[in-house]
Amino acid sequence: MNEIVHPLHRFIRPYVTSTTNCPGCGNGIAAQAILRAVDELGMTLDDFIFVTGIGCSAWIPSPFFNVDVLHTTHGRPIAFALGIKMGLPEKKVMVTSGDGDLAAIGGNHLIHNARRNVEMVVICLNNGIYGMTGGQAAPTTPMGLKTATTPYGTFENPFDISELVIAAGATFVARWTTHHARQLTASIKKAIQRKGFSFIEVITQCPVQYGKKTGSGSAVQMMKEYKETSILVKEAAKLSKDELQGRIVVGELRDKEAPEMLEEINKMKRKVSGEKA
Amino acid sequence: MSKVRIYRDLCKGLEECGICVSVCPKKLFQPSAALNPKGYRPPEMKDEAACTGCENCMIYCPDLAIAVKKDKPAKGAKK
Amino acid sequence: MKGTRVQTGKYFMMGNMACAEGALAAGCDFAAGYPITPATEIANRLAERLPQVGGVFLQMEDEISSIAAIIGASWTGKKVMTATSGPGISLMLENIGFAIGVETPCVIVNVQRGGPTTGMPTAGVSADMVQPKRGSHGDYEIIALCPASPQEMFEHTVLAFNFAEKYRLPVFILSDAFVGHMREEVVIPEADQIEIVNRKVPEVGTDPQKVKGFLDENVAPMFLFGRGFRSHVTSSCHDEHGKRNLSDLAALDNFIRKLSDKILNHKEDIVRVDRDYEGAEVVLVSYGAVSRAAKMAAIRARGQGLPVGTLRLITPWPFPGEEIEAMARKAKKVVVLENNLGQLYPFIRAEAACHADVSFLPPRVIGEIQDPEAILNRIREVLK
Repeated sequence: MNEIVHPLHRFIRPYVTSTTNCPGCGNGIAAQAILRAVDELGMTLDDFIFVTGIGCSAWIPSPFFNVDVLHTTHGRPIAFALGIKMGLPEKKVMVTSGDGDLAAIGGNHLIHNARRNVEMVVICLNNGIYGMTGGQAAPTTPMGLKTATTPYGTFENPFDISELVIAAGATFVARWTTHHARQLTASIKKAIQRKGFSFIEVITQCPVQYGKKTGSGSAVQMMKEYKETSILVKEAAKLSKDELQGRIVVGELRDKEAPEMLEEINKMKRKVSGEKA
Repeated sequence: MSKVRIYRDLCKGLEECGICVSVCPKKLFQPSAALNPKGYRPPEMKDEAACTGCENCMIYCPDLAIAVKKDKPAKGAKK
Repeated sequence: MKGTRVQTGKYFMMGNMACAEGALAAGCDFAAGYPITPATEIANRLAERLPQVGGVFLQMEDEISSIAAIIGASWTGKKVMTATSGPGISLMLENIGFAIGVETPCVIVNVQRGGPTTGMPTAGVSADMVQPKRGSHGDYEIIALCPASPQEMFEHTVLAFNFAEKYRLPVFILSDAFVGHMREEVVIPEADQIEIVNRKVPEVGTDPQKVKGFLDENVAPMFLFGRGFRSHVTSSCHDEHGKRNLSDLAALDNFIRKLSDKILNHKEDIVRVDRDYEGAEVVLVSYGAVSRAAKMAAIRARGQGLPVGTLRLITPWPFPGEEIEAMARKAKKVVVLENNLGQLYPFIRAEAACHADVSFLPPRVIGEIQDPEAILNRIREVLK
C-alpha cells in the first residue's frame, strides 16, 4: 500500500527526528501553521530567513525547519532581523519568539521596529509564562497567578502585547489562539505577502509550566478554554470593556499602510546619488 | 473516505497530549495497544472509513505526527 | 569630500573622521550605532558617507540593537562596523560574545573615555583595555588594535576589517578621546595600495553537513544566509556544522578550545608591536596616546646618554606575551606606562618580572598623558 506522507515533513531539517516540544505544546501547532502558510503560498523555505531569541518558541525553526536560521541572544531577535533584512531585502525575514523574549527583555526592539515599519513578520508565541526556565511569571501572566517567582500570586498588571505593538505603529497586527490554527495560517500568509511590519500574537498553551504548575489544566483543556473565551474583534466591538473582561479578542486587529523603512532608505540613497550627479 | 497515517514514533501520547482525540469531530481516535519507543501511547483509528477528511488531526498535531490524504473533498471542510 | 570609497589625498583630519574613512576604504557597507561622546563623530561621518557608496548607517534605539543589527547584516555578507565608548561596550558585551561564538566578522570601535559609569565623557582615558578580552562571559580570544594617531585610526580600521574577515570574529579598535578628537596629518593612499581581505564563503551547493562551517582552527568558510545553505547558526554550544549540543561536555570543550585556538594558533600573523629597544637597559612599554609621550621621553633620554628604548603594543589582544618576554630578557628595567590604574600592567608584569625589574607609572592625574619629564625622572630613578 502506498504510504501517504505528511505534506510538511519535507520542510524539516534532515537530522531532526522529533520536535523538542513538550507533549501538547501549542508551539507545535503554530510551527505547522507557519509551514502550511509557506506551502499554500507556493513558496519554499529558501525564500526565508528565520531569526529567534531564547525560549521554547525560539526553537520552532531551530533546528526543526530546514532553513537559514539565526538563533540569537535573549530579547534581541528583532534587532538581528533588521540587520539581515538590510543585507537581504528580497528575502522574507521571520521572527518567532515568546512573550518574555519579545515583550519583556526585548520590548524596546519590538517597539522601535514596529515604529519603523520595517518589513518583517514577527510571530509572538504568548503562553503567559517563562516556560523554558521552569515557569516564572511573565509580563503577560494574569494578576494573582502563582508561578515559580510569584509563589503568593503575581502582583503586577499584565500587558496586552498586540495593543502595545499597534500603539508603536505596526501596520498589521493579528491575534489568534492555537484553537484557531486555520485562521492563524491565513493571517501568516497575509503577513508574509505584505510590506511593512507584521505582528501576529498567538495565545498558546504551555501544558507543563503553565497548565500543570498553575492548575490551569491539560493542553486539551487549555485549548478548550481558548475556544470558549475568545471573541472575534468584530463581535468584541459590540461589547463593553466590562463585558470583555477575561475574553481573548482575536482576529486581524490592524491592517493599514504606512511608509516602510527599507523603501524610505532606498529613496534616500537615490536622492544622495542624484545629488552627486 | 480518506487515508490517515499515524507516525507512531513522532507521537507524544494520548495521555500527555491527546489533542487529536479532542479535535476529531467523529471521535475516531482510540488508544493503540502498544507504546512507542519513547514510552508514549499513540492513537489508532477506530474506523477509517468514517473519516471525513476534515484534516483537523493533521492540522492540530503539534508533532506533525498525523497525515491525512483526502480521497475527495469532504463536506463542510474548510480550505 | 563626497562620492568614492577611498578619498585619496593628504589631509589635516580628526582621528574619528579618519576611522570612518578607513571603514569606507576597507569596504564597510553597513554600520549601526547610538550617539555617545566621544565617538559620535564616527557615526555622523558614516551616516553621511555610506549612502554615497550605496551603503547605509542606521541609528538604532540603543547599543544592544546596534551590535545585533551589524551581526545580522554580517551574516548576509556585508562588512560591518559600530562605534561607541565604554558604556556602550558594556551594553554590547553579550552580543559581542554571540559574534565570537558564531564567528561573525565585525569591527567595534571603542573611543574610550573616563569611567567607571558615566564618568567624564570627554576625558581620554585608557579605561577599557581588558574589557574586550574579559568583558563578555566565558573563555574566548579577541583581537584589539590600539591606534596612537589619526593616521593609525585610518590604517588600523582597515586592518581591523581585514582581521575580522580573515579570522571571522569581532575586532576592536581601542582608541580614546585624545586620539579620536585630535587633528593631525592623515595620508589616504590610492585604492590599489590598500590591502583588502575578504572572508571565505563556500560555493553555492556546498552541504553544511559535509563541510565545516564553524570551529575550524584554520577558519571555516562562512555559510552566509540567502544562498540556499539552510545554515543553522546558534548561540548554543554547537559542533562544526552548527548543530546544537547541550548535553556532552566534550562538545563544550571542543566549542571553547577551537574558538580560542583559531586565534592563538595565528598569533604570528596577528600580533603587532613597535620595537625600538636595541641596546636599551630601560624599556618603556606603552600603547595608544601614551606611547607618544613614551617616544618623546626616550628621545630626550637618549639625548642625555641614557640607555632607553620603547616597546609599543599595537595589538594588546591577543596578548603579545612572547614579545614582552623577549624584550624583558634583554632589558634590566621595564617601566609600564598606561593612562589608567594599570590594566595591562599585571599581564605585562607576568611575562616580564622574572627577567627584569618591572614597575608602573600612571600620569600625574588619570586622564592626562604622562609628562615626558616625569617619565625621565622615573627612568633616572630606576637606573640608580
